[in-house]
Amino acid sequence: MAQVSFHKKSFWSILILTVTFFLALSAILELVARMPWLEKVSPYRSVGNFDYQFEIKWFRLQDYVKQQGGVDIIVLGSSLVNTGVNPDILAQEYYQQTDIHPRIFNFGVEGMTISPNSVIAKLLVERYHPALLIYVTEMRDYIAGNGLEYETPFLADPWLRNQIGNFNLVGWLAENSAAMQHYLPYRNWVRSDFAQTMAFYIKRYHDTSASGYEPDSQIGVNVDVPPNPNDPAEAQNFKDYGNYQIAAARLDDLKSVLDLSQKQGTAVLVVEMPVDPTFYVYVGGEAVHKQFQQTISSFVTTNGGFFLPSEACINTIPLKGRSNRWHLNYIGAPYFSTCLGDQLAIFTGQHPMNLITTGH
Amino acid sequence: MTITSLVFALFCAGSILIYWRLPQRFRILWLFAVSMAFVLTWSWELAGILLVVATVNFYLGRWLVAAKDGRRGLLWIGIGFNILALVALKYSNFYVTALTNLLEKMGIHTGAGGLLLLVPIGLSFIAVQMISYLVDVYNRIFKPETGWLDFALYVVYFPKMLSGPVERARTILPMFKQPKGLDAQSSEHYFWLVVVGLFRKIVLADTLSSIIPATIFLHPGAYAGQDLVLYLFAYAFVIYNDFAGYTSIVRGISGFFGIELTNNFKLPYFSRSISEFWERWHVSLSNWLRDYIFFPTSRALLKRIPKRDAVANLVVPPMLTMAVSGMWHGLSWNFLLWGGLHGLYLLIERLSTLWSPRRLLDELPKWRQALSALGIFVLVVLTWIPFRMALPTAWQYLVRMLTPSAWIKPDFWLFRMYIIGKTQVSSWTEFNLPDVRVFILLIPALLLDWKQYRHKDETFFTKWPVWAKALFLAVLVLVIFLLSRAETGAPFIYQGF
Repeated sequence: MAQVSFHKKSFWSILILTVTFFLALSAILELVARMPWLEKVSPYRSVGNFDYQFEIKWFRLQDYVKQQGGVDIIVLGSSLVNTGVNPDILAQEYYQQTDIHPRIFNFGVEGMTISPNSVIAKLLVERYHPALLIYVTEMRDYIAGNGLEYETPFLADPWLRNQIGNFNLVGWLAENSAAMQHYLPYRNWVRSDFAQTMAFYIKRYHDTSASGYEPDSQIGVNVDVPPNPNDPAEAQNFKDYGNYQIAAARLDDLKSVLDLSQKQGTAVLVVEMPVDPTFYVYVGGEAVHKQFQQTISSFVTTNGGFFLPSEACINTIPLKGRSNRWHLNYIGAPYFSTCLGDQLAIFTGQHPMNLITTGH
Repeated sequence: MTITSLVFALFCAGSILIYWRLPQRFRILWLFAVSMAFVLTWSWELAGILLVVATVNFYLGRWLVAAKDGRRGLLWIGIGFNILALVALKYSNFYVTALTNLLEKMGIHTGAGGLLLLVPIGLSFIAVQMISYLVDVYNRIFKPETGWLDFALYVVYFPKMLSGPVERARTILPMFKQPKGLDAQSSEHYFWLVVVGLFRKIVLADTLSSIIPATIFLHPGAYAGQDLVLYLFAYAFVIYNDFAGYTSIVRGISGFFGIELTNNFKLPYFSRSISEFWERWHVSLSNWLRDYIFFPTSRALLKRIPKRDAVANLVVPPMLTMAVSGMWHGLSWNFLLWGGLHGLYLLIERLSTLWSPRRLLDELPKWRQALSALGIFVLVVLTWIPFRMALPTAWQYLVRMLTPSAWIKPDFWLFRMYIIGKTQVSSWTEFNLPDVRVFILLIPALLLDWKQYRHKDETFFTKWPVWAKALFLAVLVLVIFLLSRAETGAPFIYQGF
């Protein structure tokens, strides 16, 4: 009968040597990745998340905190925040009003609704302990299922799962290994679209300021013309935003952001983005918008936060300051940032708080 | 369960450990059980179809021996059954729409999804094995299998189930009953077969495959001539390393069960003639085609026209054999053309032997061997165009590739400006530079083939010192881990046939 006989000694010696070589190679790579010259050659870092813009912001914030010694205010939200809030102008305006110069960072990431942002908020507050978290919101944040195409892969990422307490080796390595962080921006070098996406990534990396602001150069056309329900080009928007309703699950997400003030001692200010009023045609008109404001305002205040409606700043933004009905461009962002600085000064005047944190 | 997954590795390790602890009389049962478990991870319908195919062919084989008359008819029923099963299930897309429309007209509604038929993975491979079994039994080359379990294992044996090799019953069934023992040397050989297979599949094939732009085989008009050439060569290495990688892995795994599978790939791109290419490429299918199409056709024709250089004797066997090979890959014009081109190459090679006596390839001067290998490689690469694309696109691809004006000069000046930060680009394709990543991957691919060719040993690693083997494994694990971070990963190409 056929039998089996393994050479156990040779098997174990190969296995042990392989593991030893593997560890030695990894250690060499880690050492090289931690050398200062590599940072100059390739400043790009990644944790392997599908959302490369999130990663740009994540590492920009790390660098910001390293340079500034901490962060006092984080402005969180979607692409509306990314292109709409210039933290430097906001801080300057606040300084002119109060003589206090807070360190502010823009953490607006494209496609992120309240659902993934509730996770990001927790990560940021736990790590950097800012005095204030400004969450910039708008009606689309609360539509059930909106933004799932970003949310699902974002939340499935091993690094993120590791961050929120589900330990996994890949996520742990992405967080702790400099070699991994320097390799991961190039991880898709094998893909046919790598050259294009990498060039685009590098451009956006350099366009994003040290405080996280990325200006938008587009100037919108006919932004103030109400959308026509019979226009085929608008059909999808009417389908997506019509019959507007606030999803209960999204309110739960908002609550978890607001709870951070209780648990972490970071005050939470929810600011409504001053989108162009023609947007409200999609959702059913100004009455629906007013109803939304009432619901969110009362929800925020009931849960220990503060709400600033869009009316406070909407009239300060010129028409050419918009790139479309929702986003502000490089002209509009300074207007909104200045207005937000003024409103923040009023707010901290009414609710005294120490905005300057000692560190992180 | 894919065969490059960690789950599959654990599944195999567990199956092998238990297999060798069992007495021989239980080993076939165990192999059958784990093979069925493997099939069930794909689908229970597939398991059902395979068991039906196994049972029908098992009894047909027995009847072929028992029958006093009508054996020929019975053989054709068996061949017909296997071809029909293949056509009905695998090529359902050809007739499902028409059938659905007909049923709708008759007032029978098929539901929102229409008629959905299962496409059983590996059925093309199984069908040809079943045909060879019946023919061998009919020709009394092989006594029919008397045990249903042994025969069913021949059908569902998991290392070869997905994409072959196409094994003959007369070689594999005895190995089930009497597997080879494992010693230190053979274990190491099988282990390195798996390692080489993983290297070919994950590092070479998958990586090269994802580098090739997805649209190049759909819209070749959008690409420069030099890109079409480069990516076509890249594709040639993708398909080869993908299938050779798969075969190497399954041969290694099967070897651990004491069952040796056919080596399907013997460095085909080093072939110095087309007939040598077909002795080195997909060897098990080539041998099947030779034994069950080429030789019977040649014999039948020679009986009618007993002259070796008669036109029919020269033309029909290679053309018919390669046409069948093409249709085995898929019932479409592009596969038929692919087979036809190979048939034509073989025909030209046969014709050339009429005028000058054939010399042994090894006796040719080295430079002629190298030149022949290069020529054959280019001819084979050209046939991958109709293999990969529908015919109109394939023609467009070929024409554009050969049009000098479609070759665009690289913009080195723009590239230099970009590198020194004087300009921005929206896409790196603006530089028109050759894709350097293809060359980076072709180097290890060619190096591996060259080493295997020179050493005449596919697991030449076994002769390395222990530290070198360990270093190679460590680097391989690291490379595979880093590659796994990219959003790629493709199923084996031949799993689709």
